[in-house]
Amino acid sequence: MNTKPNPIKRILNTRGMGGALTAFAGLIVIYIAFGIINPTVFSGQNIMNLLRSMSKYLLIGIGQSYILITGNIDLSIGSVAGMSAMISATLMTMGVHPIAAILITLACCLVIGVLNGLLVGKWQLPPFIATLGTMFVARGVAYIVNGNRNTDAIASGIGKEAADTFGNFFYYGSTLGIYNTFWIAIALFVVFFFLLSGTRTGRHIYAIGSNVDAAKLSGVSVLATTTKAYLVSAFCSCVVGLILCGQAGMGNMEAGNMYEMYGVAAGVIGGVSPLGGTGILLGTLAGAAVWQTLENGLNMIGAQVGIQRLVIGIIVVVAVFLDVVVRNGAHKKKPAKTGAAKTN
Amino acid sequence: MSETIVSMRGICKSFPGVKALDHVDFDLRSGEVMALLGENGAGKSTLMKVLSGVYQRDEGTLEIFGKQYGDLNPKLAQEVGVAIIHQELNMCKHLSVAENMFLGREKRRGIRLDNASMEAEAKSILNELKIDLDPKQVVGELPVSKQQMVEIAKALSTNARVLIMDEPTSALTAREIDDLFRIIQELKAKGCGIVYISHRLEELQHIVDRVTIMRDGQYITSMDFKDVTLDEIIAYMVGREIKEKFPRVACEKGKKVFEVRGLNAGRMVRDIDFSLYEGEIVGFAGLMGAGRTETTRAIFGVDPKEGGQIILDGREVAIRNPKDAIQAGIVLAPEDRKKDGLCTKLSIRHNIALPNLDFLCNRFGMIRWGKEAETCDKTVQNLKIKTPNVEINAANLSGGNQQKVVVGKWLARNSRVVIFDEPTRGIDVAAKVEIYHLMNDLKKQGIAVMFVSSEMPEVMGIADRIIVMCDGRITGELMAEDATQEKILSLATQFEKKIAV
Repeated sequence: MNTKPNPIKRILNTRGMGGALTAFAGLIVIYIAFGIINPTVFSGQNIMNLLRSMSKYLLIGIGQSYILITGNIDLSIGSVAGMSAMISATLMTMGVHPIAAILITLACCLVIGVLNGLLVGKWQLPPFIATLGTMFVARGVAYIVNGNRNTDAIASGIGKEAADTFGNFFYYGSTLGIYNTFWIAIALFVVFFFLLSGTRTGRHIYAIGSNVDAAKLSGVSVLATTTKAYLVSAFCSCVVGLILCGQAGMGNMEAGNMYEMYGVAAGVIGGVSPLGGTGILLGTLAGAAVWQTLENGLNMIGAQVGIQRLVIGIIVVVAVFLDVVVRNGAHKKKPAKTGAAKTN
Repeated sequence: MSETIVSMRGICKSFPGVKALDHVDFDLRSGEVMALLGENGAGKSTLMKVLSGVYQRDEGTLEIFGKQYGDLNPKLAQEVGVAIIHQELNMCKHLSVAENMFLGREKRRGIRLDNASMEAEAKSILNELKIDLDPKQVVGELPVSKQQMVEIAKALSTNARVLIMDEPTSALTAREIDDLFRIIQELKAKGCGIVYISHRLEELQHIVDRVTIMRDGQYITSMDFKDVTLDEIIAYMVGREIKEKFPRVACEKGKKVFEVRGLNAGRMVRDIDFSLYEGEIVGFAGLMGAGRTETTRAIFGVDPKEGGQIILDGREVAIRNPKDAIQAGIVLAPEDRKKDGLCTKLSIRHNIALPNLDFLCNRFGMIRWGKEAETCDKTVQNLKIKTPNVEINAANLSGGNQQKVVVGKWLARNSRVVIFDEPTRGIDVAAKVEIYHLMNDLKKQGIAVMFVSSEMPEVMGIADRIIVMCDGRITGELMAEDATQEKILSLATQFEKKIAV
C-alpha cells in the first residue's frame, strides 16, 4: 500500500518546497525583467557583485529562518552583527591577531544567543520582547567597546598585510572567480541546511514550531532546542559582522542596522512561515536572492532609494498574501473535492 | 401551582456517525430546580445546547414560555430568556464585574460609555441576589466561585428566567457551594427555572426538586426527587447491558513492573498509590475531571510533582520531564491529540520519528534515513494507518488515523510501561477494536498497560483490574470479574464530604 514515489516527485513533495520553488520562479522573472531594461544586469561583474551582496542576506536569512521555524523571532540579529563588527575591529586595532579576534568575537555573539535561548526557552518571555531587549543590549555593547566611536582602520593595529588578508578572506578576495563572501555563505548554507533537514536537532526545531506541547510530550527539550536555534542565529550574525568589518576595513557602530528585518523578509519570501513549523532553507536562499536582485536591479535602472524600499515592501506583503491565499484555498477546496469523488 | 416554562418534545440531533439525541422529552417548570442526570456522553450537554441555541435540532418541538420556536440561535435564546452558565467560565478577566455583565450591550450616553449607570444597575442586581461584590472590581482578581456568581448575575441582568448550570460546583469549596445553593434558592423564589447538571449525586438533596435521567441519547425517566433513592438513580443511569464486543486475551499475571507511591501534584492528584504488573491491563475509570489525566501527566513528568515515588522494576526513577520518562521506558499517549499528541503541520513520518530520534539517529545526531523509513512503514502497516504515503501532513488524516499515529509513535520503541489516556475517544468502532488489539499485544509482551477511559463498558471489557478515581483520589479498586457499572459509578461519585449539613 505504501508505493514509493519516484525521486523527483519525492523532492517536489518535500514540505516547504512549494514556497521555495515559487520564490525561485519569481527570482528568474525579476532577473530577466531587469536584464531586458538594462542588459548590464546580465554582465559577469554584476553577477559577481550580486552573489557577494546577496551573501549577507542569505546568512541573516538562515539565522532568522531557524528562529521563525521554531515559531519565535530574533530581533537582535542586526545588533549582534554590529557588535561583531565592532568587537573584532576594536581588537584588531589593538593589535590582536585576527584569528584570536574572530574567536573572541564569536564567543561574545554566542553569549547573546544563549541569553536569547534562556529568556525565550526557559523563562518563557515573549520572543519579540526578549530579543528586543537583547537587540538594545548588543547595540549598546557595539557602542561601548570602542568608547562610543567608530574604530580606526584595522590596519593601524595588525598592519597592512594582515588587514588585507582579513579583508580578502571575508570580502574582497575571490576563489575560482567568485568572491569568497559567497563561498563562506554557501558553505554555511550547506552545513545549516543539513543540520535542519537531516539531524535530530533540526527535527526538534520543526516540532516545537509546529506544536510545542506535543513536542514536549515526545521528549523534546524546549529549552535546548530553542537555545540551539538562537545560537545558529547568533553565529550567522557574527559572520555577517565579520564580513562587514572586512568590507569596511574598520568597525562601524551602526553596522548591521535593520538586518533582522531583512532576514525575516528573506525567509518569508522563500515560504518560511512566521507562525512556525514550516519552511526550508532552500526557500530562504531564493528569498535572499530575490531581495538582492530587486535591490540591485532597481539600482541599475536608476530607481531612487525610496522607490526601492517601497517596491521591496510590497513584494514581502504580496509573498505572504499569496501564501495565505494558497493555504486557505487548499483548505476550502478539500471537502469539495471529496464531495465530488463521492457523487461520481 | 407553577407553570411549565420549557417544553421539549421528541428532540433528535445527529452528528456524523452518532445519534446524540434520540426523541428526548424535557420539561421545566418555573420556580424549580431540575437535575439533568446521566453518564458521560448520555446527551445532557447536547440537549442543553439545543435549548440555548448553540445546536439546531433535527426533529422535535421546542416551546419556551408557551411559545413555539423554530430554529433558535444563541442570541435569540438569550432574548427569550435562556441563559447557560458554562463549566469553563467565559469571563474577560481584565475587565470589571460591571463591564463583564454589560459586555456587548454596554449602556452609552452619546458616544461615551455610561459607566455610572452600568455600575448602579450591576450593584442592584448583585444586591437582589445578596451577593457582596463591588461592580468595579476586576474579575480576574476574584475567586472562581465569585466569578461564577458574576456569570449568574449577568444572566439575570439579561432577564434570563431559564438558567442552565453545567457542573457548577466542580471548582468550588464547601463554603462556596453553600453560597451557590443560597443563590439558587433566591433564583427559585424569583420564579426562575433552573436546569442543574452534576455528577455529584450527594449534593442534589440540598436543592433539587425533580430529576430527569438520560442514557445513550435517550430520555429514560423523570420524577420528583423525593420519590427516588440515589441507588435507583444510578440504576437508571447505567441500566444497560454491554453491547459491544471487546477482545480479551487471558494472560498469566507476572511480576510487578511499575509502582506509584504517594504521588501528589496539585488539587487533582492526591496521594495516588498503585502498581502495574506484567500481563495485565489496568483500567482507570472515573468521571470527567476525576484527576486521571492529571495523574498520567504527573507520572510522565509533564506537570511538576509535589511528592511521591515512581518505581520501575524495583528501582526508583527520577522523572523531571517527559524525556526522563521516555528514557526510563515509560510512555504516554495523551488524551487531546490535536493539542498534545500531534504536530499537525508536520508529516506522518516526522510525527512517528519524533520521540524515537534517539535510536533513529547515529551518534552524531544525524538521522538514519533507511532506518527511519523502515520504522515508519512498519508502524503504518502494523496499525493499519490509512494513508497514501507517510509524507502527508498529519492534519489531513481522519480522527481515527490520527489517533493511530499518536499511539503508533510510541509502539515503535521498546517500553516497559505504556499509558493510554482516552485512546478511543472520537474514533469509530473498527478503529477502537484495533486499539484494543494493540493493548492486548502489549499485555502479551509483558508490558504494563495503564488504560484511562471514561467509557465504562470499554474499561470493563478490556481491563483486568479497574482503579476508580474521584476528585483527585483513588476511591477504589475492582477486579474485572467483580466489576459492575453500578459499583464503578458509586466509587466514581464518592466525593469527600463538602457540604455542611
